[in-house]
Amino acid sequence: MTRYAMVLDKRRCIGCQSCTVACRTWNELPMDIIYNPVVTEGVLGEFPYVHQTFTPLLCMHCDNPPCTICCPCKASQQDDDGIVWVEATKCMGCKVCVNSCPYGARDVNGAEGFVRKCTFCKDRVRENEQPYCVATCHQKARTFGDLDDPESDVSKLVNSLVTERIFVELGTDPQVYYIPDLGGAK
Amino acid sequence: MSHKMQTNKLEKHYWIWPIAWYLFLGGLGGGMLFTIGIIEMVFHAGYLLALGVLVAVACLGIGSMLLIFELGQPKVFLRVFLSATAIIKWGACLLILAMGFGFVYFLFYLPPSWNLFWYSWTWLRDLCAVCMALFGLCVVVYTGVLLSTMKAKPFWNTPALPVLFVASALSTATAALSLLAGFWPSADAIIALFAEQADAETVVSSYLPLLTHEIVAILHQYDTMLVVAEFIILLLYVLTMRASGNVTAKAVALEWISGGKALLFWVGMVACGLVIPFLLYQTGGTGAEYVAPVLVLAAGLLLRFLVVYSDRRRAMPGEERFYSRLPQGDERFLQGWKPPY
Repeated sequence: MTRYAMVLDKRRCIGCQSCTVACRTWNELPMDIIYNPVVTEGVLGEFPYVHQTFTPLLCMHCDNPPCTICCPCKASQQDDDGIVWVEATKCMGCKVCVNSCPYGARDVNGAEGFVRKCTFCKDRVRENEQPYCVATCHQKARTFGDLDDPESDVSKLVNSLVTERIFVELGTDPQVYYIPDLGGAK
Repeated sequence: MSHKMQTNKLEKHYWIWPIAWYLFLGGLGGGMLFTIGIIEMVFHAGYLLALGVLVAVACLGIGSMLLIFELGQPKVFLRVFLSATAIIKWGACLLILAMGFGFVYFLFYLPPSWNLFWYSWTWLRDLCAVCMALFGLCVVVYTGVLLSTMKAKPFWNTPALPVLFVASALSTATAALSLLAGFWPSADAIIALFAEQADAETVVSSYLPLLTHEIVAILHQYDTMLVVAEFIILLLYVLTMRASGNVTAKAVALEWISGGKALLFWVGMVACGLVIPFLLYQTGGTGAEYVAPVLVLAAGLLLRFLVVYSDRRRAMPGEERFYSRLPQGDERFLQGWKPPY
């Protein structure tokens, strides 16, 4: 089985937002939608040991996605490889998935009225290419791959380093792993 | 391609006034069907409230229309039935069932002079009363459950929200019924009951005001209890949220108690919507007959608006700062700039 996941190394991210721009280009997003904002925390720590941390956000492609069970049209769905996506030709725009996503990963395409979200660049991944944000990241902060393959980069990172995930307590089982900026080996 | 600016997505309202109106009308219509069904089964006095059934079905119908027009793509609303498990699909089915049974029930109160063949099937009328009470209550519960399943919205994601909505819906439904009791076609129904008597007309003119007065008094008592229950549940709800460990739920509750929604909550909801109707029901007279039910109905609508617009999403670390620093004032520039494609 394949289980796509992404590991984001906060030690490497410099908050340049190249991935944000790349995503917007590849997916031809309207002005009011961003799939992957990079948010900033800090200044953290005490002088002189201060630092800032950057967190690239995106759809967590949860193992237990609250956005697919609530969809009445079966438009919001999850593939066997874990990718959660919205089939625009099935969506009727009831926005129930937008309201149920704790990560704010979904938005309504204003003119057409359907919901759209990050798809891990499904079209690229199926042709054995990296998602566009991963291919763009010049800091190598983003790693994408198959978590079920023990030889893949994401498996090695998740299994060897301390990682954290966002809102695990909601039971969504997110599959985007963050390496903390002061993290290290397990 | 739209040229709207980025907005604060933590505070963005994806569901707006049509949903608030739907939650009010769905609760009102479902609650009315439930109350009439109970009155039919217990007192066998459904004919006094027959107009209420028609109004309830109309409320559910208008509510469903609002739901459809609120969709991003209203023309394909039938896609709602594609899923087996989604809660919205269940809501749509329950709405249709409640409206259907309510409508069939009302068919028994068409003018008796039409002599329609089903008038003698009282078993069908009673079955419809039971079913519309059941599905009406389901619609009422569903309006609350729909919001309380949203994991992303801490102020909604609590089992207390359906309880609050049920109390409010039954209270508004009772208030609406007390306004509608005794109107057409109640007189016709009583004439049909006393058809074998020669002076049926005079029996009606003497009995109907008495019966209406009786049922309205019962409804006022019932609504007084519901208003008290709603008062307790509402205060518990907001104050529990105020004490919540969740930062977002607490912030929204503070907005209700002492922030931007405080005037609407304390003066509009608590004072005008619950305390004054309670006092008016105690004093009786015109105040109890007309003013209190209207205030209860207005408060029900206000509650739905307050809740629907309390949809703040809980922030991920750093997200609040990101949205607070979005560029302001560039809208004209961005809208004026047309891309070459």
